[in-house]
Amino acid sequence: MKRFRSYLLIAPTAALIFLFIVLPYVTVLIMSFRAPADGQPYGEGFSLGGYAQFFGQAYYAWSLPQTILLGMATTLICLVLGYPIALHIATASRKWRGLLYGIVLSPLLIGIVVRSYGWTILLGNSGVINATLRNLGVIDRPLPLMYNNFGVILALAHVFLPFMVLPLLSALQSMDPAIAQAARSLGARRFTIFRRVTFPVSMPGVQAGCILVFVLAISSYVTPALVGGMRVKTTTLLVVDALIDQFQWPFGSAMALVLAVSAGLIVLIFARLTRMKWT
Amino acid sequence: MTEVSLRALQKLYGKTLALKGISLDVAHGEFVSLLGPSGCGKSTTLKCIAGFEEVSDGRICFDNKDISRKLPEDRDIGMVFQSYALFPHMTVAQNLAFGLEMRRLSKSVIAERVAKAMEMVQLTPYADRFPKALSGGQQQRVALARALVIEPAILLLDEPLANLDAKLRNEMRGFIRDLQKRVGITTIYVTHDQDEAMTMSDRVVVMFDGEIAQAATPEEVYDRPASERVARFVGNANILELPVMAVRDRAAGGFDLTLPGGTPLHLAAPAPWANGALRVMARPEQISLTDPGFGQLGGRVAKRYFSGGHVEYTIDTDCGPLLVLGPTTQAVHEGDAVGLTFDASRLWPMAPESGAKP
Repeated sequence: MKRFRSYLLIAPTAALIFLFIVLPYVTVLIMSFRAPADGQPYGEGFSLGGYAQFFGQAYYAWSLPQTILLGMATTLICLVLGYPIALHIATASRKWRGLLYGIVLSPLLIGIVVRSYGWTILLGNSGVINATLRNLGVIDRPLPLMYNNFGVILALAHVFLPFMVLPLLSALQSMDPAIAQAARSLGARRFTIFRRVTFPVSMPGVQAGCILVFVLAISSYVTPALVGGMRVKTTTLLVVDALIDQFQWPFGSAMALVLAVSAGLIVLIFARLTRMKWT
Repeated sequence: MTEVSLRALQKLYGKTLALKGISLDVAHGEFVSLLGPSGCGKSTTLKCIAGFEEVSDGRICFDNKDISRKLPEDRDIGMVFQSYALFPHMTVAQNLAFGLEMRRLSKSVIAERVAKAMEMVQLTPYADRFPKALSGGQQQRVALARALVIEPAILLLDEPLANLDAKLRNEMRGFIRDLQKRVGITTIYVTHDQDEAMTMSDRVVVMFDGEIAQAATPEEVYDRPASERVARFVGNANILELPVMAVRDRAAGGFDLTLPGGTPLHLAAPAPWANGALRVMARPEQISLTDPGFGQLGGRVAKRYFSGGHVEYTIDTDCGPLLVLGPTTQAVHEGDAVGLTFDASRLWPMAPESGAKP
């Protein structure tokens, strides 16, 4: 009886997850096996046509490794940029901590469209950076800052940095400060303490941050669309294209599922590789 | 086995002087406790010795070498923290090996010393466990072994038993003391628990408000406290203010005091400041109960607490309420009239507080 009542507590959440995650996924799964048709979203009967189209045509198939590499690059950059920030906030005085927190969270306070558009103003061929450099006579031709992977990764890293910093920060703040002192008393210097103690102890935060940023990056649509100008083909862009513009629901569903399964596998492998026996 | 000496140590936090000139010598192999209430500067002193806090003024010497400006990692100290501060991602053996690896010893030497250290704290079967899988007492022993395995010049302990339950704490007291004697390492131990300081130390340093109030053996601190504040901090103290009837020798000791009711009381201890009246301390176990009408002072039992080994009484007297410890065999009840006898040989006069604090 007691057990039943505790289940009752998670019932609302379970219902939400079932309605808005499990059911849609099942629908997508079924849709991905429907037969394609002309002039309507899908035809009679079932087929593997959607999957065949994705894996059969290089244009589509290559978007998958491209998307995953884009996600990994964004994750790595967020980790490298985010770790020092988190370390700094974790050791900052109370007064500074609030301000730094605000700065880190600030990208989330601006709408995604506005923020991405902002990047195009900065990075465009006649954007702020290129115009300034040309006027200073540093360059003759504009630098290719957007409509390529560079611009997209830069913009994605900017948006998702908070999702890296927050888990890192919580891991670092929950670490007993005496642990670093103990390492010092045993003769370890700063870099050794970081390499052998601080970083490994913050591993749960690294793991959570990386998974969050990776999953968010490969599934993002607006930023690659605006900053990449449809010239950076991510699978997510192709999915939306197939579903909304081409009206090919089985094909779009198949791509969406392939991306989801690939992402799931990569997260699983990552979690496995960074498994911590001590927690 | 290093002699530690602190010379006029001062520590300034902003505008507050947390340490007001601490001077202390700790001999080779000595076990010294820094005892005091929270905020008295005992932990700050320890952090200065470890190097985690920079001293504002004064010097810290190990074996007559000034190390005040050295970084903690260069001081050759072993430290045990209140939270143990074990490396959670390393096994017991890896925790112990860490300090030796920092000293770039060969793998075989490290393995040998780690094995020896684990045996010393009886943790050999737990070598491959992570700290999380150990009990509080076991973690404590790992912390101790990790600090000792590097064979440091001095051992520093910061309230290491505060997180343990009472029974375990008692066991660990003996364990740490035995280990320290066996290794013979100079040890400085910070605690706010007077029992802990008394039972473990060669010498107790009582600190109040960033100053040393008394540094002496546990017996001396208990029986001959330097001030009323020390007397009250290390155990229970009855303080009686009694008029001086006759002075035999101020410096060497010898006063005739008188108790309310006219009974004379002889004080053997010296009290050069004595003038008209003296405040004397009697510990609860230095007063015994007798039948009413006998003894040196009459009173009535206000409260009686049985605590297993003995009985604690509060006796209302003309000198105010007095705390008395009695044997459990005595049939005395609340409300009974009793007589009190003082163990005159152990009465101790209280020096007037300089700049008296409440």
